[in-house]
Amino acid sequence: MTATLLEVNDLQKTFTVRRGFPRTETVHVKALSGISFRIAEGEAFGLVGESGCGKSTAGRALLRLIEPDGGQVLYRGENFLTAPGHRLRQLRQKLQIVFQDPFASLNPRRTVGQTLAEPMYVHRLGNREEIQARVESVLDEVGLPRAAVEKYPHEFSGGQRQRIGIARALVLEPELIVADEPVSALDVSIQAQILLLLDGLKVRRGLSFLFISHDLGVVRHFCKRVAVMYLGRIVEEGPTEEIFDGPLHPYTQALRDASPVPDPRAKVTMARLEGEVASAINPPSGCHFHPRCPHAMDRCRVEYPKLRAVAPGRQVACHLHDMAA
Amino acid sequence: MSEQAPVLDVQGLTTEFRVHGEWHAAVRGVSFQLARGETLAIVGESGCGKSITALSVMRLVPQGAGRIASGRVLLEGRDLVPLSEPEMEKVRGNRVSMIFQEPMTSLNPVLTVGFQVAESLHYHRGLGRAEARRTALALFDQVKIPSAARRFDDYPHQFSGGMRQRVMIAMALACNPAVLLADEPTTALDVTIQAQVLALLAEVREAYGMAMVFITHNLGVVASIADRVMVMYAGEVVETAPIDAVFARPTHPYTEALLRSIPRVDRNTTELQAIGGQVPAISNMPAGCRFADRCALVEPRCRVQSPPLTMLPDDPRHHVRCWVRGGETSVEALQ
Ligand SMILES: Nc1ncnc2c1ncn2[C@@H]1O[C@H](COP(=O)(O)OP(=O)(O)OP(=O)(O)O)[C@@H](O)[C@H]1O
Ligand SMILES: Nc1ncnc2c1ncn2[C@@H]1O[C@H](COP(=O)(O)OP(=O)(O)OP(=O)(O)O)[C@@H](O)[C@H]1O
Ligand code: SF4
Ligand code: SF4
Ligand SMILES: [Mg+2]
Ligand SMILES: [Mg+2]
Repeated sequence: MTATLLEVNDLQKTFTVRRGFPRTETVHVKALSGISFRIAEGEAFGLVGESGCGKSTAGRALLRLIEPDGGQVLYRGENFLTAPGHRLRQLRQKLQIVFQDPFASLNPRRTVGQTLAEPMYVHRLGNREEIQARVESVLDEVGLPRAAVEKYPHEFSGGQRQRIGIARALVLEPELIVADEPVSALDVSIQAQILLLLDGLKVRRGLSFLFISHDLGVVRHFCKRVAVMYLGRIVEEGPTEEIFDGPLHPYTQALRDASPVPDPRAKVTMARLEGEVASAINPPSGCHFHPRCPHAMDRCRVEYPKLRAVAPGRQVACHLHDMAA
Repeated sequence: MSEQAPVLDVQGLTTEFRVHGEWHAAVRGVSFQLARGETLAIVGESGCGKSITALSVMRLVPQGAGRIASGRVLLEGRDLVPLSEPEMEKVRGNRVSMIFQEPMTSLNPVLTVGFQVAESLHYHRGLGRAEARRTALALFDQVKIPSAARRFDDYPHQFSGGMRQRVMIAMALACNPAVLLADEPTTALDVTIQAQVLALLAEVREAYGMAMVFITHNLGVVASIADRVMVMYAGEVVETAPIDAVFARPTHPYTEALLRSIPRVDRNTTELQAIGGQVPAISNMPAGCRFADRCALVEPRCRVQSPPLTMLPDDPRHHVRCWVRGGETSVEALQ
């Protein structure tokens, strides 16, 4: 068993939003209702689920890019959420993020060289020459020409920009990267190029990943373990292959069946799931999934099922699997 | 017109754009036929000319910047290319309809969704207001908008992405079109909603006997909805075949490479392979085969002369544009 690098316990986040016109009202969006998971050294852990289920909020809250309302984030046993300023800066260096839209996250008026060097100046990681050398070696590593240092983001294609985004995360020599839909905006061929690059980093650098995606195929390729989220909670967790080959939670089953595969003999089970994801403002009572669940029972409408271990390394939150515990 | 005649017959379509004062083809010599009730999927990477092909059929290529340089677009036997704009307006949203990835671009944000569908029925089918409203409501039910009557007078922003796409489908169906052009209609949707919309499209296609051109870059979606596939690369058709043949025997090196670059949810993809490089810009097309710079099988002759679209010897419905993998008989020569 490898050591735990990151442990997230009961992470919570509620957004307060004022909406409506002309009469405004204040509503609470429960984006994260207490999620917990662990990531081992060198492990890629996937977070999947449909739009709005809280994946990005989880990634951002654990990095404190938005302040969580509660919970613990232990990085090598040290609580990241309560770390004082100077220590937080040191820890931040070890935890980096890569976004879906590399263009929006890159400063258009800065050259790639400036963008990559800046974090190293901020963290005082060496003199001018050392920083220069590090920029060049990271560019090599992500497969960009060294001449890129002089260029601006708009001079690059989408795939190349994502390489810049990855290079920026790498310059500080992190141990864990939160990758929030890093290949979702890319064409399949470019997506494969970036996945192969990330594969290489995982192996060569022994990097850990929290890999957020709504594409189950991509997650199966990249992640050893995965958690499936629905309306701010984890509903199933375990080894990726086991989960996708034998999903236990009815939502995971539906998600898997709806994921298209390039094989006409395996057409997606069309519209097995009725309805749409409910609102996080007023989530359904009991199991949040019950209005769409083909197996819903009376109990499901009143009682939220606890996330329970059902097999080694596998957990599921569903009353159908309560007996297994 | 006989039952066997294709409902849509595109012949040698070339559409150009002006880039730095010169005309360049974004779509070159594209031909395809669509049988009644058939679904043809057009696939390919971003910039391969999928949307421009559909927009050319609709005669919606941006004026001034672009033009249909040559070719014919026969809809139920009638060539749309020479039609005037007023004539074309009667065809659009009538015998042929189009739906897009982002329904918000085609819906008016300040009018209710029900009014917009009813208005389309009033305009195209000449129904009276009350009847148009009744028919629109029936369409809402048919595309399975829950509590259709209650939501009829909602505004587009009050609808989710999936529901807006249902409104667009209702609008497209309003005039019982012979052909529906669907340009990435499910790309922006979550997978469970995508599955619902795909199921709905399959259902209405059946009910209306409508033919469909379904544009996507997702080969998984192709496998679940299409009868036939047309793979485009850099503005040209590089492979076309019935659905089973394409997946069982992808023959053009580009199709083969695309299939190898998809990580699959149903099995381990240890052999994931990327296609290096990218689609060339329309103003910078290489001589010879346009895929040559990215092709693993490239030979010297590929860079000299463009390969013709050919028929595979054992399957006359399977066409491939490749010197190495193609057959002997040129399809264009036969036409
Ligand atoms: N800054 C914010 N203010 C208010 N609500 C927010 C904010 N950020 C997220 N939310 C809400 O929190 C919920 C979770 O959002 P989040 O972005 O984490 O979802 P996601 O799983 O990343 O979705 P996607 O796949 O669309 O990226 C949603 O209901 C969203 O509308
Ligand atoms: N208005 C325009 N002016 C110049 N070039 C254009 C214009 N519109 C499209 N093009 C070019 O035509 C080519 C084909 O574009 P098209 O939109 O058909 O691609 P596509 O296959 O639909 O791609 P995507 O998957 O990104 O939608 C592209 O190279 C594009 O840059
Ligand atoms: S707890 Fe009940 S409603 Fe929820 S997923 Fe399980 S069976 Fe369905
Ligand atoms: S013609 Fe040559 S370069 Fe083009 S796809 Fe075939 S083998 Fe490759
Ligand atoms: Mg997100
Ligand atoms: Mg397009």
